[in-house]
Amino acid sequence: MKEDLPCTLVPVASLSGHEDRAWGVAWNPVKSLLSTCSADKTIRIYTYTSTPSPSFTLLASVPTGHTKTVRGIAWSPSGTSLASASFDSNIGVFQREVDEDEGNVGAGEWECVSMLEGHETECKSVAWSAEGNLLASCSRDKTVWVWEALPDGDFECMGVLMEHTQDVKCVAWHPTEEILASGSYDDTIKLYLDDPSEDWFCFQTLTGHTSTVWSIAWSPCGRYLASASDDRTIRIWKRVEEHKWACVHVLDGAHERTIYAVSWGPKPDNAGARTLGWLASAGGDGRINVWELEIEEDAEENSPPRHRLLARLEGAHSVSDVNGIVWCPREGYRSLLASVGDDGEARIWRISPSG
Amino acid sequence: TLTDLNDYITPSQACIKPVEQVNPSRAVESGAAATEIRIDSNGSYYEVSKGLAQQTQKLQQAEISLNDCLACSGCITSAESILITLQSHTEVLNFLEHNPSRLVPGHRIPVLSIAPQSLASLAASLASSSGQPSVPLADVLSRVRAFATECLGFDHVYDTTFARHLSLLEHIREFQERQDEDGHRLPMLASACPGWVCYAEKTHSEMLPFISQTKSPQAIMGTLVKGWMAHKWGKRPEDIYHITVMPCYDKKLEASRPDFFDEASNTRDVDCVLTTGEFVLLIKEKNFDLSVPVPPSPTLPSDLPDLLVHLGTSSGSYLHAIISHLIRSSPTPLTLSTASAEATSKQNADSTEYVLTAPDGSTVFRGATCYGFRNLQNVVRRVARDAGIRVIRGRPTVVSKRGASQKAYDYVEVMACPGGCVNGGGQLPRSTTAHIDTSGTLADDGDGGMGSKWADRAWTREVERAYWDGREPVGDRFGLLTPPASPKRKATQIAERSNAHADQLALLVLSDMCNVSVSRWGEEMDAQGEERRRKLFRTSYHAVESEVIGLGVKW
Repeated sequence: MKEDLPCTLVPVASLSGHEDRAWGVAWNPVKSLLSTCSADKTIRIYTYTSTPSPSFTLLASVPTGHTKTVRGIAWSPSGTSLASASFDSNIGVFQREVDEDEGNVGAGEWECVSMLEGHETECKSVAWSAEGNLLASCSRDKTVWVWEALPDGDFECMGVLMEHTQDVKCVAWHPTEEILASGSYDDTIKLYLDDPSEDWFCFQTLTGHTSTVWSIAWSPCGRYLASASDDRTIRIWKRVEEHKWACVHVLDGAHERTIYAVSWGPKPDNAGARTLGWLASAGGDGRINVWELEIEEDAEENSPPRHRLLARLEGAHSVSDVNGIVWCPREGYRSLLASVGDDGEARIWRISPSG
Repeated sequence: TLTDLNDYITPSQACIKPVEQVNPSRAVESGAAATEIRIDSNGSYYEVSKGLAQQTQKLQQAEISLNDCLACSGCITSAESILITLQSHTEVLNFLEHNPSRLVPGHRIPVLSIAPQSLASLAASLASSSGQPSVPLADVLSRVRAFATECLGFDHVYDTTFARHLSLLEHIREFQERQDEDGHRLPMLASACPGWVCYAEKTHSEMLPFISQTKSPQAIMGTLVKGWMAHKWGKRPEDIYHITVMPCYDKKLEASRPDFFDEASNTRDVDCVLTTGEFVLLIKEKNFDLSVPVPPSPTLPSDLPDLLVHLGTSSGSYLHAIISHLIRSSPTPLTLSTASAEATSKQNADSTEYVLTAPDGSTVFRGATCYGFRNLQNVVRRVARDAGIRVIRGRPTVVSKRGASQKAYDYVEVMACPGGCVNGGGQLPRSTTAHIDTSGTLADDGDGGMGSKWADRAWTREVERAYWDGREPVGDRFGLLTPPASPKRKATQIAERSNAHADQLALLVLSDMCNVSVSRWGEEMDAQGEERRRKLFRTSYHAVESEVIGLGVKW
């Protein structure tokens, strides 16, 4: 059933090479680099040219040193470090060797500068805080760990949060404040803060989903949080008080199967004071959806944001599940979307007006 | 509460009970079942082998001991294992009921040893429920003694502070030994916390060479009661039934270690461990009112000194004992400074550094306290990195490029529980009713995570205050540097006086048990004496091999 939607997702590139399913994808926030990770235990790093139709070239296939699947990756805000979460229960941190003679950061090999042990079972996700000094990791061992990056490339454990009752699938940091969110197989989302004199602690548990929360994404403005679940809905949560969040909307019926990933990016050129940005979702039905979210004119407190489906793509990775989807955060590239799937491929899309 | 009795070590997903293969593998027809299992009317399992000669073999029931499960806490959740162990007080009651009377052969002399942290927990709970500011530990001990001897029929009741005194003496000696070597076995890490020891044995066996081999106070108490005291009473170890009251569940695990089982007499040094909470269940069951004052009972000359004070931390002052020793034995006066042990400026009461400097400014000693799981992680990583141990499994990778040959610490007092032993998993919660409450239901103040967090921390401080029994902590932790002002000085002096007496008794114990005569605890004995001493006061650790076969499920 073809709908007349205002936009289409135009294929830009299709990157193969992983020898097993691709789990995660991440855009370097500063440089023209895209990374993907896979069950084949490697991370692939691509470089790309500029818009409108960038071309992607493989820069490196990094044998990470992980002994099992690499399940998630995240670039630090400065763009210099790449963290990996692996089923071997470790968190890897990689940097590019700086070629001293050339002073050219683009030259060296990717090396593992730190391998953080501690989790007891498979790690699922890793995320850097907005300032880049904190790293969060989560695992099937039901815990969320917060690490602080130290000057010598080492990390110190700042907190071990044992609040979830099941496997923790994802972690995400607020875009400006040091608020951490985690989603779990226990159907909840938990929000954490740091108590300066003591420890990290959970200040709120968001309930409502009726199944596993696979992915969470904060809105660019930081006032909203989106969560995607195995219950095939996306929930939008709003900050109603300084440390209190409530569900203001449920996006239902957009996916036929589990939704595995969401990404919330700013609308390119950020036109419109009421826009909350673009939300992309992908899942086991092979479908990618893109919505625009807006605050209603004369909206009442806590009324749901207005949502409009901009684009829909079926079979993004043909018959395979789509495991990850991420908007490009870089200025000038914000209409680019990257997805990875069980077919081992990474695909780049550009959202363009239809017609 | 029941739900948070997990001693802060996360449960592991894999059961570590090794499965023994008794039958040699037999050739199997592809597709056919190799054996058939039949269950008879009694519920016994039989394996019937297929083939021409049908053999029936009764299968032995697989057994997993509580010891295995406490070590693993994998398939059994924290809650369930706690429910199992909560029955320990009935075990004690059963023993007392079936213990033959005094003159009948088979009678075992019941002895009870209680940890000072457990006494502090009782004291704080009594004070809070009666509205009093505090209850002195000596009073609590008298009441516990009255209860145990009059209601339960125990012959002897002690606290474990003298055993701790011996532990600290031996601990200092061990540290000295390691310092005199080339330092490859430094930093020395405290061994008194079984939660930490079990975690290291299971997950970080590379730490084992660094963990002190000196026995914990509980273990030494076991040796004292079943060895030295038994001998004085003219009894054998098996004639004594020794129970301890401890602030956590992991002490049960420690008591059931094979290292603390005496094969010659076929008995454990500690027969049963009750947590503070379980002990209170016992008190309740017997309808004894611990809030009623009891006249102090005269201590017999043959008994151990009560309530020795070891200034330092409420988890046993292991670090401070070493610092005091270094200060005392230094030819030049040393300066002590403390700081947060966090690399960042974040304050953390559970992670503090102590540095001793010589007059010329050089560092003589660097120590730290490290309580709680996350601080433990940082210690493990720092120690491993300083020792050059590659803890990375798989491909060799470039670890951080520090050229550090200088170790971060010489000694770390590691405890698994944040706040230390006063906040152990088996301690009493804040009492909400007039009586000591072990039902474990903490009223939910409705403000989610934040309100009860502050309340818990405030309660731990109450218990800590009760532990120090009226002594005020002074900035550098009890005046190790500067003599405190007069009232406190008196406390310090009193502490020093009773500890001098304890020192003498310690030498007597050592001489008796090792069959040599010594004038100082650290004095070298002959080979035989040293061997006996090692056996009595030291132990060893065993890495646990776990076969974790990842599930084939793709996720």
